[in-house]
Amino acid sequence: MIVTENLCKKFNRVEAVKDLNLNVRSGTVFGFVGENGAGKTTTLSILATLMLPTSGRAYVAGAEVTTDAALVRKLIGYMPDQFGVYDDLTVKEYLAFYGTAYGVSHGDIEKRTKELLAMVNLSDKVDFYVNTLSKGMQQRLGLARSLMHDPPVLILDEPASGLDPRSRIEMREIIKGLRERQKTVLISSHILPELAEMCDEIGVVQRGTLVACAGVEVVNARVHGQRQLQVEVLSGGAKLADELAFRHHISDVISFDEEHVDILFSGSEEDQVELIHELAVTGYSLKSVHEVGASLEELFLRLTRESDEGQPVSKLA
Amino acid sequence: MWSVWWKRTGNFFGNPLLRKELRQRMRSIRTVLAVSLYLIVIGVVAFSFMYVNVQGQTLLLQPTRTAELFTFLSYLQLALISFVTPGIASGVISGERERQTLPVLLTTPLSPWSVIFTKWITSISFLVLLILMTFPLYSIVFLFGGVVPSQVLAVFGLQFMTLGAIASISIFWSTIVQRTGWSTVLSYATVAAVFIGGSVVGYLFDTFATHSPDQTIWVDFGTAAYTINPIYMQASLETSLGFITPAFHNSVVASVFTTVQQHNLMSAPSWLIYTTIYILGSFLLLVICAWRLRPGTFTITHKRLLRWLLR
Repeated sequence: MIVTENLCKKFNRVEAVKDLNLNVRSGTVFGFVGENGAGKTTTLSILATLMLPTSGRAYVAGAEVTTDAALVRKLIGYMPDQFGVYDDLTVKEYLAFYGTAYGVSHGDIEKRTKELLAMVNLSDKVDFYVNTLSKGMQQRLGLARSLMHDPPVLILDEPASGLDPRSRIEMREIIKGLRERQKTVLISSHILPELAEMCDEIGVVQRGTLVACAGVEVVNARVHGQRQLQVEVLSGGAKLADELAFRHHISDVISFDEEHVDILFSGSEEDQVELIHELAVTGYSLKSVHEVGASLEELFLRLTRESDEGQPVSKLA
Repeated sequence: MWSVWWKRTGNFFGNPLLRKELRQRMRSIRTVLAVSLYLIVIGVVAFSFMYVNVQGQTLLLQPTRTAELFTFLSYLQLALISFVTPGIASGVISGERERQTLPVLLTTPLSPWSVIFTKWITSISFLVLLILMTFPLYSIVFLFGGVVPSQVLAVFGLQFMTLGAIASISIFWSTIVQRTGWSTVLSYATVAAVFIGGSVVGYLFDTFATHSPDQTIWVDFGTAAYTINPIYMQASLETSLGFITPAFHNSVVASVFTTVQQHNLMSAPSWLIYTTIYILGSFLLLVICAWRLRPGTFTITHKRLLRWLLR
């Protein structure tokens, strides 16, 4: 449904997007993850026809974003990371304005306004002025606005940014509900656990390039299959790190100092007991070996670090 | 043909952005206050002028004084147009940018030209409303004779054209620069450059002409500077209508009307230049704005055209 082929965008000498190849299948919720400045917003802006790519191509439902921009605009609902609302317009008028702009008939506008406001829990605010709504309500209204013309594709740029925890949860639940409506959703965020709950697939972007892409299950399996362990010793952490790097079941030494060594361990709990035993026999003064929070965040950091260091990028799928 | 025309016109008036903008503008309490204040100012000035002129006079019908009042009111209106228009129009695009509503607006099927043209229409609509609301006040001059409705309409026509051009300049700056503050400053600076700068430059050229052996070139330059200046072109129109009266004792007013006659600004070429520059210039500025709003628009059209031609 959304495809990019060697997409590039340069701002003077800065390459914001570099040979980005993306393929979002129809009906999936795709999480687009990356640090600030990784090129997420630029990519989404190109897909939303707000920006022209320097080179490469991008397609939304088969329509090319530069040559068929008018068609693409009808096919997408776009919600930028930060957006304002018009003063002196009620919620109903606000939605009616965008509905009319998309050519939705008068009858359908009324019907969809009711339906969408119910979906985003704003039915009781229909006659409120939009500028009097809270930030969380405005974000939800923005989502309703992007659905006014019932587009098959939704492009949401950090929809939960700047929201309080309660509003974030509400927004997450609404986006989960979009899956049932068979929408293809491309959603960017730098908060990975949140995306893991909402998305079917996740793509990690670093410096404008897609460094990893996989289904959420694969990512979770990868994370859970490779636990991060911290080995605590009285001294000799550096020497231990050198030795652990070549041990079976240890795929990576993440960090170390004189008293701690963090490793990625792919073995079972029995393998872990065996490792502890072997280290004790070898003569290391072990204080403890414990599992530290293994999460998507760590995977993300590791992937981006690999990319930074020019090492081969982890292929998840 | 009529159905096509009706459909197109209906589509224009059914333009959601136009309806939204008009609704927002007219709903605001500031609009009500602005309209009231404008009418009060014009009304007070008009009645004061009449009171001063009628005092001690035995004759009520004084065509000369009426022409003077009309000229005074029309210049007051021109001053208000040049002062108020940039204030209204210089934030129409930069304001959308600052409120962060522009990206969403540009992802709708509304074309950049439609957005810019609608913004232009809504910017001038408020000023047009103000001008039209002063019609009853202008009609007072008919009571005293000396001015006929066609003359009033001619002056209003000139003012509408000037108003449209100032709105285009302001929207141009609003699209080009990021901040409304800068856009407002640049809009007022451009208007000042045309109104005041044009007068100063014209005066300088006239001075050069008196001291130079090659007078004609300097006089022509002076004529060009005055021709694009609405102050002089309004005076030219009022001279053509026969409003120049011995009552213009004020030296500044007298100098404007004298300059108009010296440079023959009532001539057809002067009017042709003025209307061409103001109408085509406005159109050109709005086209640039549409291009700037979505830079790829014309590139893609050009590519499409090229592809179609090669095919």
